[in-house]
Amino acid sequence: MNLAWKELRRRPGKFAVAVLTLTVLAALLLFIASLLDGLFLGTTGAIRVQNADIFVYSNASRDSFLRSTITSSTRTEIESVAGVAATGGLGVTLLGAAVPGESALADVAVIGYELAPHGIPVPPKPGQAYADERLKGFGVGLGDTLEVGPQRNAITVIGFVSGSNFLLQGGLWVEPGTWRLVQNSNRPDAPVAASDFQVMLVQAKPGHDAAALADGIDASTKATSSLTKAEAQNSLPGTKEQRSTFNSILATTYLVVVVIVALFFALLTLERVALYGMLKAIGASSRQLFFGVLLQAVVIATVAFAIAGALVAALSAAAPAQLPLQIQSSRVVTSYLILTFCSAAGSLLSLRRVSRIDPAQAVGSAQ
Amino acid sequence: MFLALREIKRAKVRFSLLVLAIGLLVFLVLFQIGLRDGLIGQFVGALRHQNGPIVAFDSQARKNIEGSRITGDEQTALSKIEGVGRVGPLGESTFTVSNAVSRAKTVAKDRLIDAVLFGYQINGPSAGLGAPTTLSKGRLPRSIYEAVASERNRADGFDIGDVVRVEPDGVEITVVGLATDINYSVSPTLFVSWETYLAAHKVRNPEASIVFPSVVLIEPAQGTSVPALVERLANVPNVVVLTREDAVAQSPGVSSVSQSLNTVIGLLVITALMVIGLFVLILTVQKSASLTLMRAIGARPRKLAFGLLLQTTIVVLAGVIVGAMMMAAVAPQLNSIGVAFGFTQAIWVGVGALVVGWLGSIGAVLRVLSIEPISATQPQGMLR
Amino acid sequence: MTNTPSANALELHEVTKVYGEGDNAITALASATLSIAGNEIVALVGPSGSGKTTLLSIAGGLLSATSGQVVVGGKDISKASASELTEVRRSSVGFVFQSVNLVPFLTARENLMLVDELRGSRGKQSKARADRLLGELGLAQRVNNLPSQLSGGERQRVAIGRALMNEPALVLFDEPTSALDTTLGEQVMGLIQSEVKGRGTAAIIITHDERMTHFCDRTVHIVDGRLQREAMATAD
Repeated sequence: MNLAWKELRRRPGKFAVAVLTLTVLAALLLFIASLLDGLFLGTTGAIRVQNADIFVYSNASRDSFLRSTITSSTRTEIESVAGVAATGGLGVTLLGAAVPGESALADVAVIGYELAPHGIPVPPKPGQAYADERLKGFGVGLGDTLEVGPQRNAITVIGFVSGSNFLLQGGLWVEPGTWRLVQNSNRPDAPVAASDFQVMLVQAKPGHDAAALADGIDASTKATSSLTKAEAQNSLPGTKEQRSTFNSILATTYLVVVVIVALFFALLTLERVALYGMLKAIGASSRQLFFGVLLQAVVIATVAFAIAGALVAALSAAAPAQLPLQIQSSRVVTSYLILTFCSAAGSLLSLRRVSRIDPAQAVGSAQ
Repeated sequence: MFLALREIKRAKVRFSLLVLAIGLLVFLVLFQIGLRDGLIGQFVGALRHQNGPIVAFDSQARKNIEGSRITGDEQTALSKIEGVGRVGPLGESTFTVSNAVSRAKTVAKDRLIDAVLFGYQINGPSAGLGAPTTLSKGRLPRSIYEAVASERNRADGFDIGDVVRVEPDGVEITVVGLATDINYSVSPTLFVSWETYLAAHKVRNPEASIVFPSVVLIEPAQGTSVPALVERLANVPNVVVLTREDAVAQSPGVSSVSQSLNTVIGLLVITALMVIGLFVLILTVQKSASLTLMRAIGARPRKLAFGLLLQTTIVVLAGVIVGAMMMAAVAPQLNSIGVAFGFTQAIWVGVGALVVGWLGSIGAVLRVLSIEPISATQPQGMLR
Repeated sequence: MTNTPSANALELHEVTKVYGEGDNAITALASATLSIAGNEIVALVGPSGSGKTTLLSIAGGLLSATSGQVVVGGKDISKASASELTEVRRSSVGFVFQSVNLVPFLTARENLMLVDELRGSRGKQSKARADRLLGELGLAQRVNNLPSQLSGGERQRVAIGRALMNEPALVLFDEPTSALDTTLGEQVMGLIQSEVKGRGTAAIIITHDERMTHFCDRTVHIVDGRLQREAMATAD
């Protein structure tokens, strides 16, 4: 293995081909993964931050926020179900907002809430909002008064929060009355009555299973469809399809890594047949030689990943706000481990060739 | 040529790995292209394949039909501009529907799904403005509660004769025609009369006081061109006016999907260039002794270079076939998530792959051409 | 693999090596019997295809004989497994090959230390031994040079040092002077003679060049796989 390490250090050019190719592939993998995470987090943020176990929609809405209505009477029924500790209403309106000093509109999701989500304070005063950091990319600053929707409802930003977007639109967290005003002014075709919400959040009492409680709520009201938090995230349009599509692309790309590393080491082993013959002649075992190959495969993958990581980080920093790239540390670690595993797996093909090299070739073999 | 083919035959593992690598990359490129084109079609196919040449959005909507509402005053302001011929509403909204009466045996009668309704005028001065342009079977709606459905979804209870009910307990719409590529937001889509659209809204929101069209479609008057009219309409306040093609291209979902997938395709092409080019170079370096020998015994450099290009061509074409076959095998299963695949795409990608392969081989070719036959007489010495 | 008490570095008894089967069988070595004492240098001379390489390979544990007994440094390796033969090569045999001798990306010192590394031992002792050997071979100033930075003769001396690093019972040289001119060849042969004799190690040297045989204690000829008469070397 020391031999393999020395070869890497003394002959880096030999491995440049593999490192360059793997760097591009690793960059591709990280880019796709960051895009997937950015899309997922940007789509589901407003749901993930909620301090609730269950999301209750109206029956016919097919778990769509925008088509669901929970009336106050339904709310009373929900609250009477055993196991429900507390409820909080939630409503979302997707609109464009004019930002002072900016010519382009910002995509906003005006979110009326009662229960304070993680990282977001209790509802502000009427006409005020906590804005998601994403909106900074559209020029929104602390104290700015945005004009929301065609009716130009005025909402003043009094603070910033993070990870709270909805369907890739920047969250504007407001008290319920402000939300109803925005909804009713700009969506006269889908008005909301006072005290109605689109979705009712439920906090379960300790010891109550969320899934069982969700079923219980639906059985009791007969007019609702209740989801756990994970189900609510997956119900957002396109989320499941996005994930399966992107994961297929990622899996195929990892397969490409295996093949390319296999190809590279097949060629390299071919070059080294004479050297390996000599080393075996002086007492190296196939196992020792192969572990050297394995070490090189791991090092190549590591170097490529490090370079790719830096490239994608730079791309992410320079990308426009509309390109939802998000680099998660857990994703970085997983991607690295899988890449290294694939690289090691690719080098396995050489194991057979290395084992078959005959040490007797070293003798009498003038090139 | 004989030597080039012989070499491939004798080194099957190496060349097979290279073919497999190229095949996987080609598959990925075809997948991305299919995803990009298919998603765009499924996102905004309905907008692309309706007959209104000019589309006016609410200026607040950021060119997104779903977020757009055009008021009566704005519609009036638009129709007053010189050169405007006909003006008609187009409403878009997603509804929960069920298949009350369906011939499709696989469809449960009480199954609820999402469907997008596009409402347009079938009567009056702007009759037919907004109708789908890709009718493949049946006819356009002639009265209330009739619809043209997206052909992609015919087996899901949207075939001619099927009745779709807007839930809860709402209007029942009969499918009288099918059109290709008219999906919207990756959902089953129905083009209905404006009255049907209003009735569907009423079912969902009985308190709704007024339903605005999402966008307004405009036809130029005789003698006025589309671009000229779009320019004039730009001065109307509170609206953004685009040609239909621009409206499709600038749809928020479309541009970000295109941007992202084009970046991925770009990276894949670079990878393919590197894989082919650099590996062919390694192969050439490895056999430099044999190439030198052949030069020494009289082989012309061009002939050796041609042999190399021939190998590249064979490997790339084999890789393209492998990649296209993989894509053809998985494409039917990916139809539902919007991945399109066509023979033409495969041909273009194949041509592109060959060009990339030849470009990538330039380094190896130059190396072959630079071999000096005299070096065959020099001792090999120590292992390189 | 068994230990046989013997003062000889190598004993071959009726060793035969046949490649292929039936009509395609080729007898590369036929009934070879040879003994080499603990500090003897034997030249093995013969035309191309005579079986010199096969004999050397069997003696060095690179090949197994089809029949016969092979004892190296007191160990009977006739029926040894592949891994046992690898161990023999690590501990009891040294090689200087005709062409591929040195790892091109290791320095002279590292090429010697590689032998210890393959046996699982590393560290200051290994380094000191390598430096001492290279010093004895006149390469004290070249310990940190890569093979590409050494002359042909220097590379050959490093290879000799590498072959002696594991203090083998037997060192096998495959045409050690074929790539060198006469003067250099004689220098290298002289070095082989002094180093091998000085350590009480035995050696077999394959050579085409009859001019070099006088550095050896005796010459063994081989023709068509059969060992011929033995000749004593004339003293210098």
